[in-house]
Amino acid sequence: MSDTPDTPTTETDVVEAAEHDGVETGALQQWADALVEELGALGSTVEFDTVRIHVDPARWVETINQARKKLELFSWLSAIDWSKDVEVGDPVDDVDTLEERFEVLCRLSSVENADGAIFVAVIDRENPFIDSLMPTIGGAEWHEREAHEMFGIDFVGNTNLIPLYLPDDFIGNPLLKSYPLLSREVKPWPGDVDVEPMPELPEIEATDDVESDTEGEES
Amino acid sequence: MTDLAMIHRSESAVSIELQTPDMTLNIGPQHPSTHGVLRLIAKVAGERVTDVEPVIGYMHRGYEKLSEVRTYAQITTLVNRIDWVAGFASEVPFIIGVEKLMGVEAPPRAQYIRMILTELARMASHLVFMSSYPLELGATTPLMYALREREYILELIEEVTGGRFHPNFNRVGGVKPVYGGGSMTKKWSLDLPEGFLQRARDAMDRMEQICDDIDTLVSDNELIKMRTVGIGVIPRDKALEYGLTGPNLRASGVAYDLRKVENLLPYDEIDFDIAVRQGGDCYDRYVLRIEEVRQSSRIVRQAVDQIPSGPLQTKVPRVLKAPRGQVYSRGENPKGEFGYHIVSEGARMPYRLKIRSTSFSNLSILPWILQDALIPDLVAIMGSLDFVLGDVDR
Amino acid sequence: MNFWLELIIKLVAILGFVLTGALVVIYAELKAGSHMQGRIGPYYAGVRWGWAQPLADGLKFLQKEDLSPTGADRTIYGLAPYVVMMSTIAVFVVIPFGPDMVGRDLDLGIYFILAISSLSVLGILMAGWSSANKYSLMGGLRAAAQLIAYELPLVLAAAAVVVQAGTMSMNGIVLAQSETWFTVAGIDVAMPFLLKGQIISFIIFMIAVVAELSRIPFDMPIAESELTMGYLTEYSGIRFTMFFLGEYASMIAFSAIAATLFLGGYAAPGVPDGLANLVGPGVMLLKIALLVFVIIWIRWTWPRLREDQLQRLAWFWLIPIALANIAVVAIFKVVF
Repeated sequence: MSDTPDTPTTETDVVEAAEHDGVETGALQQWADALVEELGALGSTVEFDTVRIHVDPARWVETINQARKKLELFSWLSAIDWSKDVEVGDPVDDVDTLEERFEVLCRLSSVENADGAIFVAVIDRENPFIDSLMPTIGGAEWHEREAHEMFGIDFVGNTNLIPLYLPDDFIGNPLLKSYPLLSREVKPWPGDVDVEPMPELPEIEATDDVESDTEGEES
Repeated sequence: MTDLAMIHRSESAVSIELQTPDMTLNIGPQHPSTHGVLRLIAKVAGERVTDVEPVIGYMHRGYEKLSEVRTYAQITTLVNRIDWVAGFASEVPFIIGVEKLMGVEAPPRAQYIRMILTELARMASHLVFMSSYPLELGATTPLMYALREREYILELIEEVTGGRFHPNFNRVGGVKPVYGGGSMTKKWSLDLPEGFLQRARDAMDRMEQICDDIDTLVSDNELIKMRTVGIGVIPRDKALEYGLTGPNLRASGVAYDLRKVENLLPYDEIDFDIAVRQGGDCYDRYVLRIEEVRQSSRIVRQAVDQIPSGPLQTKVPRVLKAPRGQVYSRGENPKGEFGYHIVSEGARMPYRLKIRSTSFSNLSILPWILQDALIPDLVAIMGSLDFVLGDVDR
Repeated sequence: MNFWLELIIKLVAILGFVLTGALVVIYAELKAGSHMQGRIGPYYAGVRWGWAQPLADGLKFLQKEDLSPTGADRTIYGLAPYVVMMSTIAVFVVIPFGPDMVGRDLDLGIYFILAISSLSVLGILMAGWSSANKYSLMGGLRAAAQLIAYELPLVLAAAAVVVQAGTMSMNGIVLAQSETWFTVAGIDVAMPFLLKGQIISFIIFMIAVVAELSRIPFDMPIAESELTMGYLTEYSGIRFTMFFLGEYASMIAFSAIAATLFLGGYAAPGVPDGLANLVGPGVMLLKIALLVFVIIWIRWTWPRLREDQLQRLAWFWLIPIALANIAVVAIFKVVF
């Protein structure tokens, strides 16, 4: 595991997670390393049975097309906004050292077995652009349109980058971390009321099966 | 054809051709065959569709954004609303993804209950398809037959979870202790309702019966075959390129079923077959789903026989804080691969949740497949893809 | 009898018959359809069996706002349902319910019927064009193409009967079927044309009738899942009711024609001549009901065809077969 959780919330969490994950990681890591070798990618991360292959954004289309010979099914394409300016949700823990960036993710799967990998390209957050997969993978068109309107990433070569979900006159990129959830601004989510008192309870009160229905109830 | 080519043709032709511009036909968002609020801007020349541009997003609820301010337990409520005809099936991959992050595993009995309910949800979803697809082709009667049988499935789901459509039954580390008999009896119980397993067996008898009935009434009907055989053929490479999964992919000759390849639920202890057909046309997509209901019924029968006893929940911390990491967890929804990419930053809520919804990918092939289709075929093809708008728009 | 008095009585009788008949058929469709689908159907209206459901529906439709789209050609839009209704009602003028129970026994009865019933195409095309709606237009065009295609087999099938009967009068055709065909053990046996070698004509005629009525499996002009409601999309209120009633009235009309042409009309075995006027209507209604039921049955069982398949069926199969059938019938007529 390369990206081990360094800020454990409770002791039990970390121990259990490590135990559980240590089993298959070896074989999966080998598979991922072989794939990195084959594609000439930058590296790989294997955690929680999930393989991520880091790709040079300049070789994005080339790498994906090459990988599709083996992993034929184009599953999805999306992005993650790593940002210091967080309006919704919790920020990253080590927010000061965070390198602001977009990660473009594309998942390919094999249809013969359980193999599959998420290809990750890191692109500049100020001037986000990457080559489009649309010319070779028709199915990428909608996914790229979604990522374009949600994050503002420009997919060079996608000829149809019109809004997919949002109205034509919509301004902003809703899935950016800096984009406020307006309804939440107006009225706080009542669900928070359920959650807030909880930390005051004993942290790891082992809930046995009989009484555990209080956990997450009425959510 | 460009204008120049048109002029050239008309000059060379003996008679002067009339230029007839294509008519733009706006199908939806309120239209009987778009199953909700899908809109198609179709260019039609007479009855032939020359170009089609799907417009989606009328039901976009922003679940990916909302998930960033919900705790993991609360997100369960959201995700079963994505594909509402099979709410339970879309809960499972998410909750198992969180369990992977947390490093917990549900006890065997809970896993079996999840499996039984997933298959029940699959049957409910396929029955909706089996009822609505003939309706697209003009046959009204199968609707009633299949929906009537679906009630038995929904009753079973309600009995266990208390909800017909939105079970919200999964918890990290197991399933919710059952309030015996859902909303029907208020008796407290901490296990499956009494007699549930037998009622499930009885319901499976009905499922096999309705599959045979629908086969007689619809699948063997000459008119249905005339309308669907050879229509809307999706070749294997196009299906993979557009990310089609589930029955739509299996009808194109790819034996790919996440129940076999992924290890989310104890399907490896169950003996069942993957239904595959080679043609890739509307008829194959239709018949394949009937076969899948038969297989699901086989799974439920075996699961009901083999279900182990034991607790329904494992011990989990009261406050669910997943450790830092990214996990992609996917499962076989009735419509195909349903996945969640959970990016956790060690907080109570995910930093980012990417929902890979099935119908979105399945529907993205529409512009390609509808080229040069007739309007009646447009309806037949669209229906055969079996999408739910909530699943497209999330 | 006074000419005017007779005219008024006949008019009222025909109108009353058409409207109540349509209501009864609507009820039959609601009830039969639900039972075929494993439902109960209308249940509460009218205390028992939901018999008043069509009436209640009709009243509801009358109360609804009579909308017309902004871009509609109002005159034509308003006129269309009445053209359709008129063409249906006019058919009943020549249909005999007994030797004397006929509006007017024209010599060219069947010719008149086929001519006047094809006027409904005009009404449908008017409705489709004037609605200023693309679905309506497509529905109207589909209806025109379909009705033209199926008018031919309809006429050709009827022509085979006319050849065999040797008359175009509806009453004459009934009488031709009550004639003694052969005698067995001293009993004179009369047969309807259906059993006198016209079975092919009958099948073609019924297929064409279902197509003329635009009912499943030939309901492309309305095709709910494709064209929302086809040429009916924009209609509401009283005008929609007119179309609706017109559809069911023409179901009765076409069934009556088929009953007259192929099933022996009002004639029934063993009815003495003196009672024919009394028993005739009952016999006729029974035969109509039988055919109407068949049409309803088809509708709740089958899906719909595609437009090109429908045209292929008409031009490649029905019309050649009907032509060959006429030739065979004519040869038999001349030779024997």
